Amino acid sequence: MNLVILSFILFFSLSFFFIGKARVLRLANYNIKNLNSLPEYYGYYLAAWCALPALIILFFWSIFELSIIKIFVLSDFKLDPTIDDNKLNLIFSQIVSIAEKKFSGTIPQNLIPYVEKFIALNKIIELSKFAVLFSAIILSLIFAYRQILKNIKARESVEKIIRGLMFLCATLAIFTTFGIVLSLLFESIKFFTSVSIFDFLTGTNWAPGRAFVRDASVQTANVENVFGAIPLFWGTTFIAAIAMCVAVPVGLFSGIFLAEYSSRKFRKITKPLIEILAGIPTVVYGFFAALTVGPLFRLVGEKFGLEVSSESALAAGVVMGIMIIPYVSSLTDDVINAVPNSLREGSFAIGATKSETIKKVVLPAALPGIVGSILLAISRAIGETMIVVMAAGLAANLTLNPLEASTTITTQIVTILIGDQSFNNPKTQAAFALGITLFFFTLFINVIALSIVKKFREKYE
Amino acid sequence: MRFILEINLRGSGRDMNEKIKISTRNLSVFYGPKQALFDINLDLVENKVTALIGPSGCGKSTFIRCLNRMNDVIDLCKVEGSIKVDGKEINTKNTDVNLIRERIGMVFQKPNPFPKSIYDNVAYGPRIHGLAENQEILNTIVENSLKKAALWNEVKDRLNQPGTGLSGGQQQRLCIARAISINPEVILMDEPCSALDPIATAKIEELIDELKKSYTIVIVTHSMSQAARVSQNTGFFHLGKLIEFNLTEKIFKNPDNKMTQDYITGRFG
Ligand SMILES: Nc1ncnc2c1ncn2[C@@H]1O[C@H](COP(=O)(O)OP(=O)(O)OP(=O)(O)O)[C@@H](O)[C@H]1O
Ligand SMILES: [Mg+2]
Repeated sequence: MNLVILSFILFFSLSFFFIGKARVLRLANYNIKNLNSLPEYYGYYLAAWCALPALIILFFWSIFELSIIKIFVLSDFKLDPTIDDNKLNLIFSQIVSIAEKKFSGTIPQNLIPYVEKFIALNKIIELSKFAVLFSAIILSLIFAYRQILKNIKARESVEKIIRGLMFLCATLAIFTTFGIVLSLLFESIKFFTSVSIFDFLTGTNWAPGRAFVRDASVQTANVENVFGAIPLFWGTTFIAAIAMCVAVPVGLFSGIFLAEYSSRKFRKITKPLIEILAGIPTVVYGFFAALTVGPLFRLVGEKFGLEVSSESALAAGVVMGIMIIPYVSSLTDDVINAVPNSLREGSFAIGATKSETIKKVVLPAALPGIVGSILLAISRAIGETMIVVMAAGLAANLTLNPLEASTTITTQIVTILIGDQSFNNPKTQAAFALGITLFFFTLFINVIALSIVKKFREKYE
Repeated sequence: MRFILEINLRGSGRDMNEKIKISTRNLSVFYGPKQALFDINLDLVENKVTALIGPSGCGKSTFIRCLNRMNDVIDLCKVEGSIKVDGKEINTKNTDVNLIRERIGMVFQKPNPFPKSIYDNVAYGPRIHGLAENQEILNTIVENSLKKAALWNEVKDRLNQPGTGLSGGQQQRLCIARAISINPEVILMDEPCSALDPIATAKIEELIDELKKSYTIVIVTHSMSQAARVSQNTGFFHLGKLIEFNLTEKIFKNPDNKMTQDYITGRFG
């Protein structure tokens, strides 16, 4: 239905584009010099006035339509105190699917009057939508048409409309972010009403499975000490640290090599090749870690008489490090390239060799940028999930031994939320608490990294 | 005496009291397929200032960058011909370019101090070449270099502040101090004053006059008056060729070549 309306609006505004253009030309006696703007702009102006108000109304109408109908249809049920919100939602979705003839199974007879009420209401609302939209289009067209006849500066108005549209898109992105953070925040607040934030941040025992017991009396007893997130924070940091031990040296040196030593041709071929590493789906890394690297480490470990579990922090960390190499190497390469050549020449001209120049002039100059790139890589490592899920296991161990299984924040979020879950027990809400902790953690690192990189850029631009 | 000197310079090129520091013979430079310099024969006299003038793109920078092998840094640049420093060929594969650059310093058109402290900027060369056995000697070298570059009084209280925080003219003098810190034999200057105001320029010109007592100096400049003021010999380049090379006085008063005359009087083109 909405699709029909949309194409209708589109058709309308398109035709008014041409109408406006023709009208204003006639108004100017076919001499463009008499106009304030090119005739196209009057066309755009009219088209925009035709489409935009209608689209805005349509947008809000579609959002509120269903909930308004819902209020009317369900008004009877609301009086019954035994029916809670969940049940209301269920009833309403039944009504909707019956009305749309998608309901499978026997139709509950007691709902039929409400279905009829729903259909009737829907019709009314649909009709009034048409009426409102149509009158909105007419009104705004009349307004715009008058403006055109006054030979306004349509070019500027169109500019304003375009700017408004861009602004809208930009704010949309920002609001989405806010929405995500808010939804995280609300759920975590619920979580922190049943588990104290202090226990969450300092507890060392993570076993949310034990909290998931239906018996209310047991639940309160257990909630106390199973949500200690320290093992998860530790696992996350630990695995990220292992990853950085791989990614930083390899990435740094390959970045330096690419920027300073390799020929231009070699660099042109190699850089994209290294960047492919970042493009491999993380699941692929995941089973590479779980099926190849993990068993390999175990094999090697056994040769040395070490006990290596086949799911180990080491395997996950190393593979994650490989994945992150291009983040470090590419950014290092870029940053080193941004160091002005005049500095290198200044150093060469004084008789310094290439490696002396790199060590004493180029790297110190590029250092802030390199640090920034490493921080960005760290935040990437912290957010990585798939590899850890597949290769590091789920055991929330608080251990320094990289050969044991370990787990991270992201992995726990996944395991908590996998499958059917109701959203009102502390176990599920714990996922949101973890999520928001992770969010602030990476946000913090990113802000620092970006400000360092920015300072670096300012210095040389 | 003047007369004899002129004849000598134009002829086989040697006055009794003058020692040739650097001489190039049939020096040609190519950037890929494009030839930038054609058979340059030029002698640089020790403890004299040689100015190189000519319209933009004529190859002045290319030429002086040959003298300390800085063109090696550019991938597609090829240098052919002979460059002799103190009679020894340096344009060969097995010449130690770092040693050459240690002996022949360079100051660039745009000041390029390292993003380090003023002190470290000047100490950079001595440290790399191990010229100072201890901190005290290094301090002395830094102080002397800054004094020679006429910058000491302005920066002696803030040696630990970044060199990039100085004014353009001060930065350029810092670069000169950096170049003389390792006590080179020759200093090449590529338009050292092009980014500077008249006062800073005057200071650097004074400095050049002072420095020529101990160093051989080559300066590229677009300012005729600067060439006339600071140099003893002047070479005029055009389209990659050395059109005329002579005493500065002669070049500016009575050049042999019509093109030189036109360029100097601004009737070029
Ligand atoms: N890196 C390079 N690659 C390719 N060609 C170059 C390069 N550097 C210089 N050239 C070419 O060599 C010629 C001489 O350039 P050069 O920089 O020596 O001129 P210049 O006399 O110093 O000019 P200016 O007075 O503008 O500094 C020019 O035609 C230029 O295009
Ligand atoms: Mg130049």
